[in-house]
Amino acid sequence: MIWLETIINGVLYGGLYGLLGVGLALIVGVMRVVNLSHGEFIVLSAFLGVSLTGVVPWMHPLALLVPVALIAFMLGFGLQAVLINRVVTRPDPFAAILLTFGVAVVMRNLMVEIYGADPRNLPAGRLAHASAGIAGLHIGVLPLLILGLSVVLFTGLQLILTRTRFGRIVRATADHRDVVRLMGVNPGRVYNVVMGLSLALASIAGMLLAIRSSFTPYSGVERLLVAFEVVVLGGLGTFWGAMLGGITLGVAELVGLKLDPNAGPLYAHLLFLVGVLMRPNGLFRVRT
Amino acid sequence: MTLLEVQALDAFYGDFQALFGVTVAVAAGETVALIGANGAGKTTFLKCLVGLMDAKRGDISFAGQAIAGQPAERISRLGLSLVPEGRLLFPSLTVEENLLMGGLNQRPGSWTLARVYELFPMLGERRRQKPDQLSGGQQHMVAIGRALMSNPKLLLCDEISLGLAPLVVDQIYESLGRIRAEGASIVLVEQDVKRAAGAADRVYCLLKGRVTLQGPARGISLDQLSRAYFGA
Repeated sequence: MIWLETIINGVLYGGLYGLLGVGLALIVGVMRVVNLSHGEFIVLSAFLGVSLTGVVPWMHPLALLVPVALIAFMLGFGLQAVLINRVVTRPDPFAAILLTFGVAVVMRNLMVEIYGADPRNLPAGRLAHASAGIAGLHIGVLPLLILGLSVVLFTGLQLILTRTRFGRIVRATADHRDVVRLMGVNPGRVYNVVMGLSLALASIAGMLLAIRSSFTPYSGVERLLVAFEVVVLGGLGTFWGAMLGGITLGVAELVGLKLDPNAGPLYAHLLFLVGVLMRPNGLFRVRT
Repeated sequence: MTLLEVQALDAFYGDFQALFGVTVAVAAGETVALIGANGAGKTTFLKCLVGLMDAKRGDISFAGQAIAGQPAERISRLGLSLVPEGRLLFPSLTVEENLLMGGLNQRPGSWTLARVYELFPMLGERRRQKPDQLSGGQQHMVAIGRALMSNPKLLLCDEISLGLAPLVVDQIYESLGRIRAEGASIVLVEQDVKRAAGAADRVYCLLKGRVTLQGPARGISLDQLSRAYFGA
């Protein structure tokens, strides 16, 4: 029974990992850019959540998801418009990698300056540890909420991309950046919105993760690693693959912790290593 | 009335000069053929027209507006449409979505999704398929349809017969006749000299970036053309 609960809770947290990675998958798929500061934005959103909690202490942290996501969207839009758009048209990916690496370093140090290096977390009251008895099993309420939210966001993203005019423009720009210009589309403006979306999604994941685990300004690298693993495991540029990849890692981590309480995320990373060795193109080749 | 006027166009790829003083004019309602071998500069010329490439020197005027050096996004709204070499359809989009992309900047005119399906009935049957499920000829039809959706004043066609069986090319060229009848002017860039000259009012020939021949399509002998094409 304990194992079943562990696995189910792993699946539910896996939704969170999927959310960490989907923002990265989005920009890799659309503009072939690897944003090395993705992890720092995840952590920044958690810090923003902490700041906002200080400003409006009567609001539950979950309600702050919306303003933080909006701020993250604007930051992403700005980052793309001011910096990343300058290097996106170059054929080699290094310029973008170096640029975002630099952004990550600057952000990390700014966060230490502003918030200090002590570990923080986002208090969510009883919600963080509440569990519901479902069919005789103890399932965490927070993980259930997280999974629900992840599914809603993933589905929303898919619907935007496949059913709306904007989604059509994004897919076309991802296919042929020059040809869309012939139809009046400015690829740079499309990228601005996509980067905004990417960071908004990352910020939601960042806040939710902060409820569960503590973080410091240096936690970005860890978060980036998870995001990377989710994207690669799922198959670069696919979304439901990222969700499934996240779930795989979530289950591996929680099961691993049950087996070996001091292991930390070791088993998740081991699973990733094995998965990439066996299927380098991703475990789940789900076409977007 | 002159729709397109190109004067002394020079274009470079880095240090390599691809076009030397190219001067071309297209009148409203005309079909002009631009022929030449591989590497003669035909695609480069078209890229300069639509703004995908910056011409170093020269003037380009379309519908009375100077467009040399303008960004492609802005030029596309003026009524200039390109069927790119190699089709360059969007592989992640269905046939219908590809056509709708073409209609993003739709100017007033007679070309709508329904009319494009009327022109190419085979596309209507395959509207939800992706380009990789279509034959070469059908992909060309999608590319032409996509360019038509914006209701262009001038349609630029880059090698629309390339890689197709003669019967299919017949169909494509027949559709050009109907496009012309709706009032569009056309620039046909082709390696197939007979096809292009047969469908056009006037012909230009490019060799190594220079215009080596120009004149009415009927008035030029095959011998003259071949000398201009290959170089004497």
